[in-house]
Amino acid sequence: MRDITLILLAAGCWIVAALLPLVPPRKEGRISTVLGATGSLLAIFAAAHALLGGTPTHVDFYFWQGPVRLELDALSAAFLLPLHLVAGLGIVYGLEYWPVHLAKGSGRSLRFFFGCLVAAMSLLFVTRNGLLFLVAWECMAISAFFLVSTEHLYPEVHRAGWVYLVCTHTGTLVLTASVILLAQRLGGFPWVPLPGGPVGTLDVWILGLSLLGFSFKAGLLPLHFWLPAAHAGAPSHVSAILSGVMLKTGIYGILRVSTLLPGPPGWMGGGLLLLGALSAVYGVWNALAQRDYKRLLAYSSVEHLGIVAMGVGLGWVGRASGDPLLTALGFGGAIFHIWNHAIFKTLLFFGSGALLHATGTRNMEALGGLAARMPRTALLMFPAVLAVTALPPFNGFLSEWFLYRGLFASLRGGDSWSAGVALLALVFTGGLAAVAFARFYGVIFLGEARSAAVDHAHDPSLLMLVPMGILAVLALALGLLALPLLAVLDRIVAVLAPGSATPLASLVGRDLRLLLPLEVGLLALGGALLAWLPRRATQVETLPTWDCGYAAPTARMQYTGSSLADGWSVLLPGITQRVRSIRALFPRAHSFHSVVRDAVGDDLVTPWFGRLTARLLRYHRLQQGILSIYILYVLVALMVAFLWLLLRSKLPG
Amino acid sequence: MFTDFLIALTMLTNFTLVATSRVNKAIQLAVFQGILLGLIPIAMGLGKHLHILLVAAAAIAVKGWLIPFLLRRAVTQAHIYREVDPYVGYTVSLLLCAAGTGLSLMLAHSLPLKPGSTPTFLVPAALATLFTGFLLLVSRRKALTQVVGYLVLENGIYLFGLLLVEDMPVLVETGILLDLFVGVFVMGIVINHIHVAFDSTDTSYLAELKD
Repeated sequence: MRDITLILLAAGCWIVAALLPLVPPRKEGRISTVLGATGSLLAIFAAAHALLGGTPTHVDFYFWQGPVRLELDALSAAFLLPLHLVAGLGIVYGLEYWPVHLAKGSGRSLRFFFGCLVAAMSLLFVTRNGLLFLVAWECMAISAFFLVSTEHLYPEVHRAGWVYLVCTHTGTLVLTASVILLAQRLGGFPWVPLPGGPVGTLDVWILGLSLLGFSFKAGLLPLHFWLPAAHAGAPSHVSAILSGVMLKTGIYGILRVSTLLPGPPGWMGGGLLLLGALSAVYGVWNALAQRDYKRLLAYSSVEHLGIVAMGVGLGWVGRASGDPLLTALGFGGAIFHIWNHAIFKTLLFFGSGALLHATGTRNMEALGGLAARMPRTALLMFPAVLAVTALPPFNGFLSEWFLYRGLFASLRGGDSWSAGVALLALVFTGGLAAVAFARFYGVIFLGEARSAAVDHAHDPSLLMLVPMGILAVLALALGLLALPLLAVLDRIVAVLAPGSATPLASLVGRDLRLLLPLEVGLLALGGALLAWLPRRATQVETLPTWDCGYAAPTARMQYTGSSLADGWSVLLPGITQRVRSIRALFPRAHSFHSVVRDAVGDDLVTPWFGRLTARLLRYHRLQQGILSIYILYVLVALMVAFLWLLLRSKLPG
Repeated sequence: MFTDFLIALTMLTNFTLVATSRVNKAIQLAVFQGILLGLIPIAMGLGKHLHILLVAAAAIAVKGWLIPFLLRRAVTQAHIYREVDPYVGYTVSLLLCAAGTGLSLMLAHSLPLKPGSTPTFLVPAALATLFTGFLLLVSRRKALTQVVGYLVLENGIYLFGLLLVEDMPVLVETGILLDLFVGVFVMGIVINHIHVAFDSTDTSYLAELKD
């Protein structure tokens, strides 16, 4: 059976899985879960087959009298793989996390829109027609809106949903313009790559508009403001698919459009490199200051999408300057990082879902000491925390290694100050990410309980733990067994930059052959130490984690999340802190107060919309509520149009 | 010749419509105008086309019998016999109607028409009737008189349609009639509801519904 047929079959499975919870014999959703998981397995099989050397397969048909081609090539497969991994694990995870029989039918609607989202994204990644792409894009965006506003009875979730809807539609508006221009350039809506040639002004416009429209979805810097609230407010397995896959549809769109046109000009690549660097630093810096751990993860997604954008920018620079090395490292690093981010961010969101399930709060200052109460969750989250901070031997390390190699190569090539800035930004990002996630893990899992919320915390059941375990194993496996992946990445890079890239195996193969045994050795050493250490401590004594010599230590004397982040987050533009210095010998009660707002969303966009609303209220008196007045408006408009038509024919010229 | 006479009568009906204060008389005038319009295509010598004949017959039936039947029922149910205190007074309405008719006569000549069609009074009459319909809709307070205004507005559109009647498919004309019927039907229901809710058919009470 051909690969593309399998993908369509998988999408069909998901649609049926979406519809099943709606029809009368409303069971607990086991059948729909099995169907969804089967669909995902089929799609993973097809995508893996396409990546491991299968030729691109396609089907052709007619849609709205226009020819449509659905094609599965290496680039599509590279995005379908993480989609169906996250979706398949997510629906299994959701079986316990968000049961179908939850209050007021939200479980059923969640199932329905989850299935729609997966099917729409599957279609999105294989379609080669501008119109159908927009249709799939809208289906995806609307399903995601309903998923985000699952808990719309909470006002902040309600608001997050609407902000997301407005943002995604603004993005779609821009994309529509870009798709129409692209249709003019290609001579029709079917997306057939143009033969290479000089880059025209129209091409630059198309690329610029697509970049604008897609970066709404990808959450690149000035357009990221919808993202933290939406991802924090959605149910956790939905946050996982939104963050792990849906954000990357923006990157997919940028990449796909750029393959259709002659290569983007070098300055655009440099610009995207800088934009990505800015997003990465901004995202991780904000992540550092968050108290809500799901918001922290959402900001970390802004950071990682920035890193992916840096890879794409580097690839464009390489393609424009005809440097095969940069092209391979940039695109290869971007795609590899997309996979890695999908794995560890999904694991982190699943883990945070387990935390939320157990404690009922998203405020990390209320947690603490959970490693003792939820040992399995803590153990499974640990690889994710290491991977997200790009530490060896986990997968995040390798994809950032690709980027470092590429940026250094670009520096050596001369004339690229953008690569220098991006390099510094990447270093800075890595450092801040380490602090942010040390804080995340430390405050939540270590120390003592900070509130009563953790009293009854316990590990979730296997239905939630097994998907997390699979992801944790994958995070380690991709880090250790990356060598065979190089050939696969080469195949994807060949789609992105036809015939102009050197194989990655010859570029980073030697590094990996050196690095990987080292990592395995270190891992083995660590394992041996771990096995050896407990034998030394024969008796275990239970003591408070930290008492610093105080006579009566309390849990409130611990480092809080805010105090850990204090050194870095005070410089953040959106943070306001109010603290009075304590002077007297016997000070009275004092308070500390700190608010983190998004420097773009809360400080720029919201006031701007407020002013716009105030300005538009002036026209409210036009709406009198009297029928005659409305008809008068129609009459006046008619008369004006009529007179204008007459006068226009009279006027000279 | 007879056509021009009918058109002139139509325009005169407009003046009487804006000047009348009794609801029953307004309905009678609208019915009269509708029947006049139904006769015009026959007077224009288009009676040889069967479909035009059918449409004209249907127009007379709907405007001369069905709609007045609905309206009269509304009148007896709502006990509204006079339009008291309109937004725009009768004298001013009359002047406005005269101004509108004059403007229509002036503007009609500068309208781009289908090449080959002879200039008639049809265009200015259509414009003037449209304007009168709008005037009635805007200036009257009672829902019933507004429905009459809507009827007159549709009459104006129908007059415009006569310009193209030979090319116009039956579908469009019957579409207009159906639209009119549904419009009056719906407004009849609305009148009833306003009457029940506010114990009056004064549409200015609807302003309470705005947010």
